[in-house]
Amino acid sequence: MSDKILPRTTRRGFLTIAGLAVGGTAALSACGSSNTNSGTTSSGSSSGSTATMMGIGNNGQVGKGRSGALADTMFIAGFQWAPATNFNVFSPSPAWPAQLNVAQYMYETAMRFNIVTGELLPGLAKSYKVVGQTVTLTWQDNAQWSDGQACTAADFAYTYQLAKMDSSISFASMWNEVDSIDAPDAKTVVIKVNPTRKNTAVVLQNIAQNYVLPQHIWSGVIKSNPKLANYQTMQPIGSGPYTLDKADQTQVVLKLNPSYWGKDLYGGLPTMNQIIHPIFKSNEDGNLQFQNGQLDVMQQFVPQIWKMWEGGKPVGTYLKQKPYYVPGSIPMFFMNTTKPGLSDPAVRKAMAWAIDYASISETAMSGYSGQVLASLILPTGAESKWIDQAKAEADGWKYDPAKAEQILKDAGYTKGSDGIYAKGGVRLGQWKLITPTGWTDWNAALTICAKNFKSIGIDAVTYFPQVADCTNQIQTGTFDCACWYVAGTSPATPWQRFSDVMTNVNLPAVGTAAFSNFGRWKNGQIDGMLQTAAAAPDDASKKTALQALDDLYRAHIPALPLMYRPDEFYEYNATNFYNWADEKNNYAPPMFRGAGNTWIYKIKKIGA
Amino acid sequence: MTGIIPTDALEPRGNEELPHEVAGTDVGTQFTADGSPAAGSAPDSGPTAPKKRRRSGLNVSPRFWVAIVLVAFVMLLAFVGPFVYPYGPNAAAGGLYDPPSAHHWLGTDNFGHDVLGVLIAGSRNSLFNGLLAGVIATTIGVFIGILAGYVGGWLEEALMGITNVVLAIPALIVLILISVSVQNSNISFMKGIVGLALVIGITSWPWTARAVRAQASSVATREHIDIAKLSGARLPSIMALDVFPYLASYIVMAFVLQVASAILAEASLSMLGLGPQGTNSLGIQLHWALAFQAMGSGAWWAFFPPTIILTLVSFALLLLQSSLDEVFNPRLRRGKKKAVKAAAARRAAAARRLASQPVPERATS
Repeated sequence: MSDKILPRTTRRGFLTIAGLAVGGTAALSACGSSNTNSGTTSSGSSSGSTATMMGIGNNGQVGKGRSGALADTMFIAGFQWAPATNFNVFSPSPAWPAQLNVAQYMYETAMRFNIVTGELLPGLAKSYKVVGQTVTLTWQDNAQWSDGQACTAADFAYTYQLAKMDSSISFASMWNEVDSIDAPDAKTVVIKVNPTRKNTAVVLQNIAQNYVLPQHIWSGVIKSNPKLANYQTMQPIGSGPYTLDKADQTQVVLKLNPSYWGKDLYGGLPTMNQIIHPIFKSNEDGNLQFQNGQLDVMQQFVPQIWKMWEGGKPVGTYLKQKPYYVPGSIPMFFMNTTKPGLSDPAVRKAMAWAIDYASISETAMSGYSGQVLASLILPTGAESKWIDQAKAEADGWKYDPAKAEQILKDAGYTKGSDGIYAKGGVRLGQWKLITPTGWTDWNAALTICAKNFKSIGIDAVTYFPQVADCTNQIQTGTFDCACWYVAGTSPATPWQRFSDVMTNVNLPAVGTAAFSNFGRWKNGQIDGMLQTAAAAPDDASKKTALQALDDLYRAHIPALPLMYRPDEFYEYNATNFYNWADEKNNYAPPMFRGAGNTWIYKIKKIGA
Repeated sequence: MTGIIPTDALEPRGNEELPHEVAGTDVGTQFTADGSPAAGSAPDSGPTAPKKRRRSGLNVSPRFWVAIVLVAFVMLLAFVGPFVYPYGPNAAAGGLYDPPSAHHWLGTDNFGHDVLGVLIAGSRNSLFNGLLAGVIATTIGVFIGILAGYVGGWLEEALMGITNVVLAIPALIVLILISVSVQNSNISFMKGIVGLALVIGITSWPWTARAVRAQASSVATREHIDIAKLSGARLPSIMALDVFPYLASYIVMAFVLQVASAILAEASLSMLGLGPQGTNSLGIQLHWALAFQAMGSGAWWAFFPPTIILTLVSFALLLLQSSLDEVFNPRLRRGKKKAVKAAAARRAAAARRLASQPVPERATS
């Protein structure tokens, strides 16, 4: 009795199909990998005599140059992610390049800060002088707005008058540090620094970061818009070498102003007659176009950027070795000292020893961080002259989980049955480690921290809310632990960073927004020490004061440096231009803002 | 307890191709799952008949075996893998996106963790999440469905009203809202895989409830229910012993589907970054691969493995469900024409045989 309800051919047929499907998947993945490899190795473009060229790809390659209508256009990315709708510098989200402290293509500052040397270079002002508590700026002779009117010291003074008329704009913070800003003549600005605060560094920081605005435009604007943030404009008038050509959902286009006043200062006009910033939906879109040479320069996080030049692309960074980028800021791990457990310095110290900093640097930051020291001073670039590196290493901490547990035990904590330490009914955790969703490098860093803490017996879990929610929790002090930013390298750091992390001045109660010392760490000495450091009359006493602050910081650990981050990710693709600024060709710092505008005058067109 | 277990309750409906045994005649007969007498319990059959009968009686298609093999493969990976593969999911094994090597068969991920190690832990958690959420959803759905379907009246209206309301709200949005508030809360127990499974379970029962209600209300009209009522059985007993067994085959299939959809729901949530924190799952693996631009950096080993496992699991479970459906509902069987022909020929042969050697003591129904 043959009992064939289901024919065997069907089974075989089905299994064959299933086998093919599985095999196909494997083949697909295999060819995915080979595609990637061949794609990156074979399509590397190279041409001609690269021996004499400077500022080219890290692999020594350059491209063939772009031809046609866009040959003299520079494509830039990483600054604008939403449709460009408003070029008012005081709007909550101005379009690039009207955002404060970005590349000075349209608006300019009086002085320009160099993140590598720490110098203030001439901008709209020829020079600055600090005598006692007075800062004097000497204005450029022929400075001009893009509409042809003269730009004078009076415009500078008026810019800060705007902040007196509308104190909600960010420039208003200048008035905390100064008593008066006057322009006695068209070429001179005299700034009287607040004699009790004596904080000239912060005044210089404002001079280097705040744009100078044309009085003849803004005196009309403030009349119709008492709240400057509400002002809408698509016809910005600045003093920079470029003017706004057009802006929409997909791009911002800047065109060269042939009568730019700074020809003499910079030794000519910029190389390109047009700058286009395409607006991408995601990092990945931009990174792909950058890799293919469709973007010339950008400020975007590219994991493993070395794969681009190893794959033959003429991509370059400022530093030719890891960390490739010059550190410019220290993302901090803030611990809310008003929470039981986190209020104990021993616990914070144990947490400092528990974090695997090398792993964060290598993976979350793709190796762009370098070794993190137990200090609020950056050991490289403009801040390096203030740090005592040996002391930071001797009195500081590093990744050592055994030592972290020992610190907890020595402080009287005992491990409960759940594997978590506790003392006197205070269990260490569960603490939420927060940072905004989508900030992937910080998300990854906190994920590593949470695992590290759990492994030594501190209960921690990550939580990534929306930016607004996260900001609110951090400012009002309702968070447990957070990864957040503090001042990046500027004329005012490292003092500004100490102040951001530790100041007790106007420390509000939990529930009210704070704008510094988010951990709400309380200490009697700190304000006096900050004042001493700010008012230090010379570099030697300033260094002593800053190092005393660093010692106090290491003793109490109100926050932890998690990694070093470049102030801006500066990376270029020498497909169309060469002579980019890098460590060998170091005529300009690896920046877009501040002194970073220098390289737009010096890069050279390939094939021209 | 109360009630009589009707013998025919154990016999599935619709298995038309098998001869019906008359209830009560063979008191000691053990029935296998598909209703055919177990080997050795039918001494009156021909000497070779039980063997053949049993094999054909399983009535499972090759699809069933493929599904079982695939599920077993993933189970093996998830539950035996940790004892065999040397790298755990949290050990720093290398750098950012190291390519596959002899030490790390699937390379390393964005944290420098071994991808296979993470995949093993992730598969385990995803399966666990699927099973737990599936059990919860099926339990709630079956309870509400049977209650509504059997009791009927205003209770049915009310329960189905609630079910329809819940069904009308897009499940993913509810899931996102609940899991975001869970992650923001201070209930640490709810933040892991178990918490997510609970959330998925209590949001995905409605369609099971609706389908079970339809079946239950048809069962409620059968005669054996009247017998049970007459013999004084109470509501819970009737629901559990007289209604539930008739739906068991359907419920098994619904459960398999619930498991598959819970695994996918977890993956979607985690991939959006809204899933559990501080643990591993296939969706979380995909989330990090996306966040760290694995696709752009050519690190296919970071996103292919979890994608393949997810595809395999959900494919295998759907295949299992549809092959079980074939077992329980012969009308759906594949190769229908041939099978019908073969069955007709077999019946004709059996009839001829019966006609030639009459067996007086065997009654046919």
